[in-house]
Amino acid sequence: MNPLDKLPEEMEELVDGFSSTPVVGDLSVGVTQYSYWMFVAIAILLAVIFVFRRRQAEGGLVPEGRFVNGVELLVEFCRDDLCKALLGDTWREHFPFIATMFFFILVNNVVGVIPGCKPGTGCIGTTAALALVSFVYFIVVGVRRKGVVGYLKSLAPAGVSFPMNALVWVIEVFSSFLRLVTLAVRLFCNLFAGHVVLGTFAVLASLFFEPLLEGVSAVAVGQAGASLFWVAILLVIYAVELLVAAIQAYVFTLLSAVYVQLAEADEH
Amino acid sequence: MGAIGYSLGVIGAALGISLAAYGAMTSMARQPEVQGRLFTVFILASAFIEALALIGFVVTLIS
Repeated sequence: MNPLDKLPEEMEELVDGFSSTPVVGDLSVGVTQYSYWMFVAIAILLAVIFVFRRRQAEGGLVPEGRFVNGVELLVEFCRDDLCKALLGDTWREHFPFIATMFFFILVNNVVGVIPGCKPGTGCIGTTAALALVSFVYFIVVGVRRKGVVGYLKSLAPAGVSFPMNALVWVIEVFSSFLRLVTLAVRLFCNLFAGHVVLGTFAVLASLFFEPLLEGVSAVAVGQAGASLFWVAILLVIYAVELLVAAIQAYVFTLLSAVYVQLAEADEH
Repeated sequence: MGAIGYSLGVIGAALGISLAAYGAMTSMARQPEVQGRLFTVFILASAFIEALALIGFVVTLIS
């Protein structure tokens, strides 16, 4: 029997497994598997932060040990590469927001890569909420800096004559709202697609191994060999997914920082 | 059908990402000191391009 015959059916089951199903309560009021893992990720993040603070206070000025140094490396990366590099003088004001976004998404993504866990960010609802927070934040920053009218005016480039000016303004407003969509969809699609690909190779590996369990024959042994090949690909994709988890957290916060910088900039 | 459409769509993303990598590599070879700043921009550009391919992937799965 060809193991690939069962693939479409298994794929359907796999993709169905990714839709939100309530763990507690129902879909209107309740906790889906994604929010459940999001709470787990938040608990891990809080534990890391509190242990880090205690260890750091104990250790004095010089950081000691892998844990404290590792967390400091991440915080410094966030401070130097994300905040100072992009925001310039006002980085101190925006650092809490940027760092919160970065660590929340990073921990959620990394928790999602662990087999058996789901990423809190692998659900369009979570990423849309994150994108909305970022959207509101950069608009509030812009309005505080320039006032409501000033911010609306600053969307159109200065030094462009009247009819073009209005057209560019409309496009800019539209693209501001597009940022909301792209931020949410990018993060969601990366996590979702990555997990579907991981799941596909896991399904393939198990389908090709099944004949060997039913009875030993030359064909079954050959298919088990193919199964090993699928597992090898699975491991490679797993490594790529770990990378994607970090890069997507970076990209999301980087874009948030860029939008804040654009909202603050005097000349558009 | 979905697979064919997705593979057609991915051609564009592949070309885009290879152009970005090409540009980043040539400028790094010419001016190694811009490596740090180029890396950020490259990752950013790749993320934009990659998102298009991924949206195609998800749409193929859903439809």
